[in-house]
Amino acid sequence: MSAANVIELRRLLAEKFPGVRTRMEAPVERIKRQTGLEQIDEAGGLPEGALTEVVAEQASSGSALVMRLLLKHAAETREIAAVIDGQDSLDVTSLEEGVLSRLLWVRCKSVDKALQAADLILRDGNLSFVMLDLVGNSPLEIRKISATTWYRFQRLVEDKTTVCVIFTPKQMVVPAQMRVRLLGEFSLSAIEQKTDVLLRSLTMEVVDSRQGEVNQLRLQGA
Amino acid sequence: MMFAVIYIPSFSLQAVLRHELADVKKPVALVDPHHTKTQIVQLNRAALKQGVVTGLTASQAMARCPELQIKARSVVQEEAATTVLLQVAYAFSARIEATGLGVCTMSLQGLKLECSVEEWAENIRKTLASLQLVAQIGVAEAPELALLATRSSRAVTVIRDASDFTSSLPIEALKPEPRVLDILHRWGIHTVGAFISLGKDKVLERLGEETLVMFERVSPGAVRPLRLIFPDETFVEEIEFEAEVETIEPLLFVLRRFIEQLSRRLSLIYLVVAEMRLRLDLASGAKHEQVLKIPSPTGNVETLFRMVHTHLESLRTDAPVIRLKLEAIPTKPDLHQFGLFETTLRNPNQFAETLARLTALCGAENVGTPVPEATHRPDAFIVRVPDFKQESKPPKRCRSGGLQLRRFRPAVTAVMQFRDHLPAVIHSPAIRGAVRNVRGPFLNSGNWWDDRRWAREEWDVAIGEGLYRVFRSTDGCFIEGVYD
Repeated sequence: MSAANVIELRRLLAEKFPGVRTRMEAPVERIKRQTGLEQIDEAGGLPEGALTEVVAEQASSGSALVMRLLLKHAAETREIAAVIDGQDSLDVTSLEEGVLSRLLWVRCKSVDKALQAADLILRDGNLSFVMLDLVGNSPLEIRKISATTWYRFQRLVEDKTTVCVIFTPKQMVVPAQMRVRLLGEFSLSAIEQKTDVLLRSLTMEVVDSRQGEVNQLRLQGA
Repeated sequence: MMFAVIYIPSFSLQAVLRHELADVKKPVALVDPHHTKTQIVQLNRAALKQGVVTGLTASQAMARCPELQIKARSVVQEEAATTVLLQVAYAFSARIEATGLGVCTMSLQGLKLECSVEEWAENIRKTLASLQLVAQIGVAEAPELALLATRSSRAVTVIRDASDFTSSLPIEALKPEPRVLDILHRWGIHTVGAFISLGKDKVLERLGEETLVMFERVSPGAVRPLRLIFPDETFVEEIEFEAEVETIEPLLFVLRRFIEQLSRRLSLIYLVVAEMRLRLDLASGAKHEQVLKIPSPTGNVETLFRMVHTHLESLRTDAPVIRLKLEAIPTKPDLHQFGLFETTLRNPNQFAETLARLTALCGAENVGTPVPEATHRPDAFIVRVPDFKQESKPPKRCRSGGLQLRRFRPAVTAVMQFRDHLPAVIHSPAIRGAVRNVRGPFLNSGNWWDDRRWAREEWDVAIGEGLYRVFRSTDGCFIEGVYD
């Protein structure tokens, strides 16, 4: 097909389907939201209207801790957050009242239901901070997730100001604009350590696909 | 002083057809099932053109017009239509009278009309038309004259000169007794004007007191006082189905009409819907009732309909539906200023609908805001319907935390081997291996004063790369979760 035909075809498609992309568009500069987590904030924060993937490949790498801190910061900034709990594993009794009162918790027992629930919440658009937790789900279920699901989620949030964070046990959210890989290992003594001490030993690699930069941060002691 | 009369022709038939998308060009007739002889009592213009008349039996009418639709009279729907009529009239004048079935008389006394009487009456007619009631309106100096004016062929008739009007009005319009009508005709009196010109004394002398009553109804200056009423402030629409309804589509069709009409009725008095009460009567005699609270009161038909639709989608009944009732509880529109720093729901009604869908997907106990119970029992909480309107305290800035537990619900059964009273090896579907490091035991118990007594020993263990919480109780050994 000649270039002229392609241009004509694009023009016709753009006329018939105004909302459809017919060419590679320049990346949109997303507003980023601060999280209270120094490592993520140094990379600008979590992007609004885009997906963020938090990869926790190892057990006890700090994914639940990150989720708790994100929830706490959202509550401090008076945001309403949603947690779609893929394996019903959130320990709500350890969260503060102020966090719980601004939390919508959806308890699921399978990846399928969690994805359906996430779809409904992202379509709704009322909540600006949505977290989908799939870390506890079985690898067999996780493998069955179609890649198109993530693209659909991306399309759902891209015209909104929603921050959507997906916690996964391995890298899978292809269209994620930001990817946070948790690399931490904790000892038994960490169970009772204060949050600020834990934060200093929390190791993560932050990649922003738009900026192509990698921040591997390990803040050792002050 | 002027009076207006709203007259709904074939009121019983219109009441029945109000919620149906009936084609007005198709012939429809109404029978009264409570009469021993099922005669046609009312019919539309199309049926009249086909030769159907009132008084025919259903089979005779069908013989004249095979495509005739025959509907049964419904007292329930007539009551609903009467309420609609009176509420509309009350929205235009505070002094109204329920004169008869499908007839309402209004006084224009004290009204400061910003338009002509004709336009005012036309507005009433249009409002009723939007509520599926076709009306004819007459305006005159006396209620009886206004009522007579409604019988003309025009939709709105305003009588400014009463004598001119009565002089051309046939005497039959007063529905005199056949005996009296015969006498009047023999006297050469064929119009109401000629009848009035006889004079009160002569009518009494020659035709008796019964005819005098008829005379006084239309005599000049005869203005009877209205029996003023206040219409019910209930907003209910109800229908009895002719055939049992087994699927959701017919219900949704009727419910949409109900919601449209209720919303319009409320908008007349500047109110919106705060709550909808849905009732389905089933063929088995059972009833399904549901109260649908509107998080952000609204009159938007789409929003209200979606809420009902979402509820019905997840509803399964044991028997078909025979009757449907929808009541709207009104309130004033909720106007408020959002706080500058308070993030709240942009569209509470949309969120309520999403919550309903999530509840249908995951179950009511799995969607909401968690509230810890006042107990030391681990993982004790309830899930409440979220209410993000309430002001909540922000969390404290400083807090000692520790690693967060990622719980296994229910706790995973494990076989634990102990060495020196500490877990040494653990076998379970979730984890297995030798314990590298251990903290504990932490003794925990509660409710020792009642039947819900519980006690357990907890340990934090490191197995492989993970940190876990395990416990032993009277039911055995379990893994409670992983620290993450």
